[in-house]
Parts: sequence; structure tokens; C-alpha cells
Amino acid sequence: MSPFLFWIATVCMTALLLTAAACLYRMALGPGAADRAVAFDTLANVFISIICVLCVAWDSVLYFDAVWILTLVGFLGSASIARYLERGRVF
Amino acid sequence: MPSPTEILVAACLLLGTFLMIVAALGLLRLPDVFCRMHAAGKAGTLGVVLIILGAVIALAGTPNDVSIRGLLAVIFQFLTTPAATHLLARAAYVCDYPLSERTAVDELKAFLPSRPDQVFNQE
Repeated sequence: MSPFLFWIATVCMTALLLTAAACLYRMALGPGAADRAVAFDTLANVFISIICVLCVAWDSVLYFDAVWILTLVGFLGSASIARYLERGRVF
Repeated sequence: MPSPTEILVAACLLLGTFLMIVAALGLLRLPDVFCRMHAAGKAGTLGVVLIILGAVIALAGTPNDVSIRGLLAVIFQFLTTPAATHLLARAAYVCDYPLSERTAVDELKAFLPSRPDQVFNQE
């Protein structure tokens, strides 16, 4: 682990945390379920990014499985919210 | 002096982070839900894919190599995010979410009539 990549990872982590705060703000503000679903989708992407940056910073793959699991779960969440909004039921 | 691999990883991470910031700014600033989807769907997808590629490049060649899982995640991301955004946009249009006042033309109106009886969870 070089100090160069450590500093890069620190900068990325700070920026990504601010991004997560922006997504949470939009999720709280609304106005409506579709806005919240979009904010949730972006928040899932931000968490995936944070996990990848942590993998680089710690030189470890302990959490890397969470990346593609979060990808699938984020898609299922958005798709079920969309179906609920459109038809009033999920299945 | 950082090695070329480290410079490539740093470029991927910084560019991906920049795109995520752009997506979040669009989420905060754009006027209606469809514009926000436009920002979050495109910039967010490319940003997260770049960051995953950065992690894959950084860990390639070490004992804990994640190339297969990382590329699988990239493929999933490219397959699922446009589909999810499209489903959400269709649902939002059908549910009569308000368009911005600056909308010039609404071409979908002729093909996808809104159903006011289906409005859910709108404030």
C-alpha cells in the first residue's frame, strides 16, 4: 500500500461521503416516491463505490462480494418500487 | 514516485468520484423527477463502473485478485441500472408526476396516457 494511493483513497472517500449526504437530503426532501427511489438508487451506487475505495485503501477483498450483491439488490428495490407505483401491487 | 499502475488506479478512482459528485449535484439541483433520473442514471452508472474498474486494477496480480467478480459486477451494473431507471421513469410518468414548467414538448403524451386513478404516494 503506497502513500500515494492512500491519499487518493482518502480524497475519494471524503467526496463520496458528501455525495451520500446529498442523496440522503434528496431522499428526505421528496417530493414523491419516485424521487426517493432515484435517490435510493444513487445511494446504493455510492455505497458500492465506498466499498471499492475501501478495498483499494486496505488492500483487502473482504467486502468485495458486497459489491455485486448490492448491485442486484439495488436493481430489485428500484424495480419493485416502480411496479408498485405503476400497478398498486408488486407481484 | 508512483508506478504507472498506481497512476491508472488513481485516475479511475478520481474520475469515478467526479462523476458521482456530478450525479449527486444533478439529484439536488435539477427541477423535476425525470431530469433527476437523467443525471443519476447516466453519470452515476459510469462513475460506479469506473470506481469498480479502479479497484479491480489495483488488486489485479496480488494474491487477492477480484477480476472475475469485479467484471461481473460491471456487467450487472450496465445491464440493470438502465432497466431500473426506465421502469421508474415510466411509472413516474403514468402516475402523473409533474413535469418542469420549462418542458418544451411532451411527445409521450400521445402514446402513454396518464391514469389519474393510479396515483400513489404523491404529496
